[in-house]
Amino acid sequence: MLKGTVSIAAASALSYLLYDGTGPGRASEEKKLVTLPDFSLPELGGKMSLVTGADRKKSLNLALKALGGIETFISKGDRVLLKVNAAFASPPILSATTNPEVVTEVARLCFKAGAASVVVTDNPINHPESCFFLTGIEAAARSAGATLLLPNESFFHPTTIPDATLIRSWPILWDPFQGIDKVIGIAPVKDHHRSGASMVMKNWYGLLGGRRNIFHQDIHTIIKELAMLVRPTLVILDGTQTMMTNGPTGGSLTDLKQTNTMIVSTDQVAADAFGATLLGRNTAELPFIAKAEAAGVGTADYEALQPIRLNTA
Amino acid sequence: MARTVQKTETYVGSTILLVLVVIASVIFLEQFDYNSAILQRGAFQAERSIQPSSPITSSPNLIQYAPDGLNPISPAETFGPEDLSDKINGKAELYLSAGFVSLSTQRFAAKEDPEAWLEAFVYHMGSIRNSFSVYSLQRRFEAENLALSEFAYQTENALYFVHGPYYVEVISSVAREGMVALMLSFGKNYVSKTPVSHARIHELGFFPSKYLSKGSISLVPADAFGFERFDSIFTAQYNIADTELTAFLSKRQSQSEAAELAATYGSFLLAQGGTEVKSSLDIPGARLVQIMDTFELIFSQANVLAGVHGAENRKAAEELALMLREKLGEAGQ
Repeated sequence: MLKGTVSIAAASALSYLLYDGTGPGRASEEKKLVTLPDFSLPELGGKMSLVTGADRKKSLNLALKALGGIETFISKGDRVLLKVNAAFASPPILSATTNPEVVTEVARLCFKAGAASVVVTDNPINHPESCFFLTGIEAAARSAGATLLLPNESFFHPTTIPDATLIRSWPILWDPFQGIDKVIGIAPVKDHHRSGASMVMKNWYGLLGGRRNIFHQDIHTIIKELAMLVRPTLVILDGTQTMMTNGPTGGSLTDLKQTNTMIVSTDQVAADAFGATLLGRNTAELPFIAKAEAAGVGTADYEALQPIRLNTA
Repeated sequence: MARTVQKTETYVGSTILLVLVVIASVIFLEQFDYNSAILQRGAFQAERSIQPSSPITSSPNLIQYAPDGLNPISPAETFGPEDLSDKINGKAELYLSAGFVSLSTQRFAAKEDPEAWLEAFVYHMGSIRNSFSVYSLQRRFEAENLALSEFAYQTENALYFVHGPYYVEVISSVAREGMVALMLSFGKNYVSKTPVSHARIHELGFFPSKYLSKGSISLVPADAFGFERFDSIFTAQYNIADTELTAFLSKRQSQSEAAELAATYGSFLLAQGGTEVKSSLDIPGARLVQIMDTFELIFSQANVLAGVHGAENRKAAEELALMLREKLGEAGQ
């Protein structure tokens, strides 16, 4: 009787000591709010080049050369992050993701300019390893000596954008940006069922963590806020092949059109505004462009940047 | 003093050791009889370490439809309404608005061409109307029609078809004849091994065939023409006198609902800046509204709402409306 009573008392005392009255807190709340640095080079102002040609590598090199070369943007010792679109585990021929040839060439040029490191990343929710592998981006990054960073739950930290309505204490892919000096966004031109188009600004969607699909209900606002979130050094919009219909996944080669245009700009709004023309759409049909412009991210009047137009032929 | 081991203890000990040896042997032999779809010992290195977001055990296995020339290189996966966007991102809304139930996917590599692979997507849409809807809204018009099912076509790298409540896409990583043959075999296997009820979509027979652009009939599940009350709207493309026209119709629950919806849509157009235009069209209750340099013609007949949308040519729109009304009458509406 005495032994039983003592045992019950001891167990109760231990339970009381181990009891956590507050319970576990949400992981995102435990982490401090973070803010992405501004990676842009304001002294350069708005710059844009538009190169016509079917060869991505040639077009890219000519487009960068027109803006003074990659050295204008990347300095010796820079640690560079390439934000690609690896959203789907689909093959390169479908142009649903960033073309691997562009990834290789941009990484190579960064190293040539003296970059200390080049990181390639994105947050495809479903099987990131398959997405990077099947899109060819993994091999492209490695072949140029770049480091591929697959998303990991611990990489995400909450951020809040001042004056934003959607991105408030929302987790973003943060860790890959640690120690980064320059950011280059690389995206294909695509139709998008919800937003009308997926280009460089929509490409930042891949930085969001959490149940980000809820933002599809207010897609134009979230794209605007993403453009406010990321101030890149440079954006590259690959319009060599444009997904004209059935985006953002596509699936059939008949969804694509050979539009033979490479767009390089310091102004992501201007890049998207021009990209819209490849889709046969105007900015009024893509409200996120006007919203981003109104938020002060850039200009929809890409002609105001006096883009340099060249042809690889 | 040392204890003597009894014979019984020796027998029991030996039996236990023997059982352990048998178990170890079975495990050793079984490891060679693996399911490649689950263990992913496929052609692609990256596929080996994948941790599926959905439980493999709950996924319908698509291997049974794969012809001999294909090897599975990923596990079958299933997605529901809550995580469809994880797989297809912004395209999810198209399916969700059309009654999406589930998606099963799996990737296969060609045995003869290790660099070539394909992915099968089987969307369970709940009904043939829903599967037809997502099929029709993504139709590639440059494609080659197939006799695989009532609604089927292929492009140089992909196969698309409706089979009862299922909408199936098979997409290849390369455009090669060998892969097209494998995709077709997959489709044939799927159709022959998947029993479905042979439900019909009656509205498809309500459109007049004259001037109709082949394969152009679509079913818009919601918010057709930007009007939130326009659900389940069938549209069809016509070419009359070199003018592209869109006819539309929707079968409603009752005659009064069809008439009320036609009237409400007319009011919506006027609220959007349209102006009523007097028409001499011989269709009782028909309304003609001019909006942004185009004409909208709306009427109802029995329990069907019908009309012509966004016509640049008024005369052609009226001709199409008369044809549509006549066809609805022939169809018993």
